[in-house]
Amino acid sequence: MSTPSIARPAGLIAGLKERARSEWGRRVGLLLLFLAALAFPLIDRNEGDIDAVANALAFAILALGLNIVVGFAGLLDLGYAAFFAIGAYTYGIFSSYQVQPEWSSFWVPFEYLGLVAHNTANGRDLVHFTVSFWLMLPVSALVAAFFGVLFGAPTLRLKGDYLAIVTLGFGEIVPIVARNTPYLTNGAQGLNGVQSPTLFGYTFGVASAPYYYLGLLLLVMLILISTRLKDSRVGRAWLAIREDEIAAEAMGVDRTRLKLLAFGIGAAFGGMTGTFYVAKLQTATPEMFGFPVSVMLLVMIVLGGTGSVAGVVVGTLILQLLQSWFLQDLTQWTHALGRMTGIGVLERVDLVQSIELIFGIILVVMMLYRRQGLIPERQSVKALSLDQQAATPSRGGIKVELGPIHRKTVDRNRPLLEVRGLSRSFGGIQAVKNLDLTVMPGSIVAVIGPNGSGKTTFFNLITGLMPPSGGKVTFAGEDITGLGPHQIVERGIARTFQNLRLFANMTVMENALVGAHTRTTTGPMGAVLRPPGVKREELAARARVLEVLGIFGNRLMPRIEHLARTLSYANRRRLEISRALVSEPQLLLLDEPTAGMNPTETLELTDQIRGLRERGVTILLIEHKLNVVNEIADEVIVLDHGEKIAEGSPAEVQRNEEVLRAYLGRTATAGAPAAS
Amino acid sequence: MSFQDLLLQQIINGVSLGAMYALLALGFTMVYGIIELINFAHFNVFMVGSFVAMWIMGAMGIVGQSEVLYGLPLVGVLLVTLIATMLITGLLGVLIERVALRPLRGVAGTAPMITTIGLSYILFNVILLAVGADSKNYTNPLPRTHWEIGEAVLRLRELLLWGISIGLMVVLHYFVRGTKMGKAMQATAQDPEAARMMGVDVDRVVAMAFFLGSALAGAAGMIFGLYYNFTSFIIGYTAGLRAFTAAVLGGIGNIPGAMLGGILIGLIESLGGHFIAVRWTDVIIFSILVLVLVFRPTGLLGRAAPTKS
Repeated sequence: MSTPSIARPAGLIAGLKERARSEWGRRVGLLLLFLAALAFPLIDRNEGDIDAVANALAFAILALGLNIVVGFAGLLDLGYAAFFAIGAYTYGIFSSYQVQPEWSSFWVPFEYLGLVAHNTANGRDLVHFTVSFWLMLPVSALVAAFFGVLFGAPTLRLKGDYLAIVTLGFGEIVPIVARNTPYLTNGAQGLNGVQSPTLFGYTFGVASAPYYYLGLLLLVMLILISTRLKDSRVGRAWLAIREDEIAAEAMGVDRTRLKLLAFGIGAAFGGMTGTFYVAKLQTATPEMFGFPVSVMLLVMIVLGGTGSVAGVVVGTLILQLLQSWFLQDLTQWTHALGRMTGIGVLERVDLVQSIELIFGIILVVMMLYRRQGLIPERQSVKALSLDQQAATPSRGGIKVELGPIHRKTVDRNRPLLEVRGLSRSFGGIQAVKNLDLTVMPGSIVAVIGPNGSGKTTFFNLITGLMPPSGGKVTFAGEDITGLGPHQIVERGIARTFQNLRLFANMTVMENALVGAHTRTTTGPMGAVLRPPGVKREELAARARVLEVLGIFGNRLMPRIEHLARTLSYANRRRLEISRALVSEPQLLLLDEPTAGMNPTETLELTDQIRGLRERGVTILLIEHKLNVVNEIADEVIVLDHGEKIAEGSPAEVQRNEEVLRAYLGRTATAGAPAAS
Repeated sequence: MSFQDLLLQQIINGVSLGAMYALLALGFTMVYGIIELINFAHFNVFMVGSFVAMWIMGAMGIVGQSEVLYGLPLVGVLLVTLIATMLITGLLGVLIERVALRPLRGVAGTAPMITTIGLSYILFNVILLAVGADSKNYTNPLPRTHWEIGEAVLRLRELLLWGISIGLMVVLHYFVRGTKMGKAMQATAQDPEAARMMGVDVDRVVAMAFFLGSALAGAAGMIFGLYYNFTSFIIGYTAGLRAFTAAVLGGIGNIPGAMLGGILIGLIESLGGHFIAVRWTDVIIFSILVLVLVFRPTGLLGRAAPTKS
């Protein structure tokens, strides 16, 4: 995407399709890789090798599941192995001789369905659970997801590092419970005689190849699910939470719900793999699911590239094969070297034992020197040509075809925003005191005041980032006091932040698309299956983003594939405004939109803000540059120490004595030119 | 044994464990209070400390448990071991901070925490490779003096461990309250930016927090060995998690809170272990951790809240 001049949706969609075609090369490469994977057991006939790779595949699936939680949503989960355990025991218990209740007529229908068998042992009539592997695969995923949600619900509102320690605790509790409930799990000795899967009368048994193919199938499926989820409304919301939780919420993302979703889906991957792994090993012991497993998965992700699907798979394969092949060979070579040189230490050292030391070193070295991993989540983009970088500030507002920003009909005679008696105190300090304010539709209202006068707190109260200690906020006739930020965005209030809260490691396009979160509906199922409705919605959202970015001419358009953190300060401000506009606001709250812009850029933006008003957006802005305020504001509100000290037209406010006193101090008022 | 005596005995045991957890919790709480980092390396600095103390006693010619010292030699040996261990683990903490964590200062997200997990793994495995997987009999020159209260037994070693813990905490308290460095630490914990502008060398403050925390962990490691009569490369994990729970229970970032939390967790471990079941102890302690975080995230004594505002 490099042509800056595109503005019409039709052209944009053609551009998007062109990009899709260029992905074909990559797909052919992946297909070849897949064919090679299919042929592997036919080429390498060593049972041990196939088994090692099959295990590696299982861990790759686990790592992909953990990557959804850690890599996408940014939640450090140190107890992920617990879900692996839950899936393993769920299948293990329902397909072994561990639990055998007395036979009764209750079980007859289940026997008919093939879920249980009638077992006579030592003269007693017992039930033998024989639930099919294929049935248990999704069931274990669901059971693990249930535990993920159950456990995540109370803890996900905690700050990230606390979540880490709580998940660590949870990861510890599950194996302890498994150890301490021997009637279900056979305790520390472990569950034995778990039945292996059968398919059309063929029993998998102990051979490695069937598990290899099954693992490969599951891995391909989960790679597909991961990639599709990531590049969807859901995935972008996760990344937004990872990058900046508060901004994500202010753009309409319900963070608790989405974190739970990440936790649930991650847990489901873990549960499913648990079932696969136990069916393969035909045994399960509590030690298989401890803290070292969770850390190993984390190392795989960190090595490959946090958040990068390809990276995670590669990282896992490297580490698994390192453990099962390379370290053994290396140990033997070292021993040989030791015998040759007569150095005793080299003769005895067992490098397979020191794998955890290697894990620790990988974690530290990667964090210090290559945090993005071997295959970074984001590939670098081409630098812009000088031509594309050139941007001359121009006046005249919005010069592209741009329809109304929102689709609501607004009653012109009724206030859009009404604030009554709004207050907020922090400890003993009253940041906002008994504030009244009315904003009529189609107006531009400026809030001014000295630093610390409560302007930003006022915005935070309206947008729900902070609950007020008193008062009421009414928007379009509806009481919105106490609603969450995402609910308020949905109703049509969007904002920008004074200190810029973009999603730094997401592209310009993705940043703006997060703005469309409340105006789109794709859920996880839709994101994975991509029915026509979802594709349409995605294309429409992208086209809309390009329209909105077009407001700023060629400032953002050539950079839509660039990461937000690479943008200049002024372009970040423009992107924040675009992101807010994509959410289709009736009321736009701008917190110092021109801060950090030079005078010509400021004038350019001032005109563009006026252009937004012409397209039906009502604007409430905090601004320090009084020339901007004079130029565009219909009405000015002056705050000082959290109280409204004046309101009126810019000219009226400038003559107000109290305003002068607040800004310039008492003595200055005395010397100021006569106000009347 | 009557119920009262049993209870008394478990309280004696619990306070001893608690004193150790409190020392360990102080390290978590000081580092968290200043740079908001959960330092997983702390778990194994404690474990290293327990070995270091044993090696130092070995270097002084005291090995095993048969050699019992009394009076001045005992005090001398304990004091030298304690001070040397604390210096060594303290410097280990400073080294960890300087090499692996200072370059990551200001990096948002999970990177610094993941680094401490890596460091913890490195310490753990270096000790494993150096000494082997079997647990080691700890050097213990303490006399077997004990007093009987009813049927409960109070041993000299317990009194001594209480004394060491309380002494260290009093010293820490006066250091933080009374010295210039201590005040700089408090200021940095409140607002690093403002502290920096007032001329506080934040890097030195952070290094000091790591030094003090790790030194206390070293002391706790020595206490662990003397109390349980063994040490092993795996002791850091469980004790570390319990101590972390203690820090959260008391209110993370809060120094008296860590002491209170430590004692409470010690009591819960010994009473819960005796009156419920040892095999459920960890489940009980983690449940407390989760419940505290969910319902009272500021802990018992409050201050730095672990939820984002």
